[in-house]
Amino acid sequence: MEKEQVIYQLVVPGPIEDVEELRVLEWHGDVNQEFLVDELIVELETHKAIVEVRAGQRGFLRQVLGEAGSWEKIGKPLALLSDASDEAIPASLDGVAPLLAAFEVM
Amino acid sequence: MSREPQTRVVKLFFREAIARALREEMARDERIVILGQDVGSFGGSYKEFLGLYKQFGAARVRDTPVAEASMVGVGAGAAAAGLRPIVSITYMDFLMLGLDPLVNYAAKARYKTGGQLRVPLIVKTTAGAKGQGVAHSQCLEAWLMSVPGLKVVAPSTPADAYGLMKSALRESGPVVYVDHKRLFPMAGEMPEDEQITPFGLAKYLRRGADVTIATYSHMTQVALAAAEALAAEGVSCEIIDLRSLAPLDLATVCDSAGRTGALLTLEEGQIVCGVGAEIAFRVREKLGGAVRIDRVGALAAPVSSNPVLEAACVPDSARVARAIRGLLAA
Repeated sequence: MEKEQVIYQLVVPGPIEDVEELRVLEWHGDVNQEFLVDELIVELETHKAIVEVRAGQRGFLRQVLGEAGSWEKIGKPLALLSDASDEAIPASLDGVAPLLAAFEVM
Repeated sequence: MSREPQTRVVKLFFREAIARALREEMARDERIVILGQDVGSFGGSYKEFLGLYKQFGAARVRDTPVAEASMVGVGAGAAAAGLRPIVSITYMDFLMLGLDPLVNYAAKARYKTGGQLRVPLIVKTTAGAKGQGVAHSQCLEAWLMSVPGLKVVAPSTPADAYGLMKSALRESGPVVYVDHKRLFPMAGEMPEDEQITPFGLAKYLRRGADVTIATYSHMTQVALAAAEALAAEGVSCEIIDLRSLAPLDLATVCDSAGRTGALLTLEEGQIVCGVGAEIAFRVREKLGGAVRIDRVGALAAPVSSNPVLEAACVPDSARVARAIRGLLAA
């Protein structure tokens, strides 16, 4: 039986009208922190709005790929999360499933 | 002495580039004041004034009623009295209401008073079609180019939005600074150090050998897309971003058109008495009949709020590519 996949990537959500590229405004937690469903993980900034990204599933923040202040395109990976806090981080993002997430343009 | 290479860059949204220029110049020159609808705590219709109200206070960042004639009139009077007002007219269509104080007073005051009065007024306004219909979409900058005493600039990148605004805030006479609704989602890099874009200096956006496209503002994006498509067909386009319409950098346009032998002018506004008509005549005057010239602009129709009709009216890259194929086949 295949091992259950327990690492997820959080990607820049979209589509957002007129927006290709956003700036990471603020992470709402540190690496190894657990996020419960609906908790705010990160805020992103467009040319005119703030985008709140919330967890759609429980997970531990393991690695931040887009620090506050960095520019990221829609669909690009922002962070890795995992079901367990000690799950090994894969060397490549190939095949890493997307984290369930909800976003709202404020 | 050699200059240190500029290595540090910052990346800003278009609106932030405008705000950066204003913030730096307002800190440097206390005569600069902002007047406009929603420019205060709201931060501007495109958030291009964000943070300025908090930093400089209500006396220097003033919300006004929806009264464009009065806004430009108060700005022109305040400028004549010694301030450096920037008046924000959210939609260029409504600058029409302020044309009397702008054209008859601000642009004439220096001449009329034998140089005793200067009117360093900036009108910042936003042109262009983006789903808002017949009276919120127009590009009227060509109307203003023919007014002696008035300068007109139109950035296409955050770096020039910053650099041209800096220049505008140091001018001794009235300036109309025209941005475009479709430029605001854009982000772009610029040096961290202050960099001023002088008026009257165009910029090459792309080098090429077969045809010159002279354009400005959002249409630079359309020109770049057309150039990509034409490159696949073996046609090499040179693109000039005029940046400044009055004064106009005719030398750069002539340089390029003289080399390529073909010139296409591209504007989003109407072509009758348009920016392209003026450039075409002046290039012909300078270079003679050797250069083939065509112009592309909006169809002779109002810009609809229907997205299909809007797209049909204003130039797109397919129309530009078609015009260039025709020009080169002529």
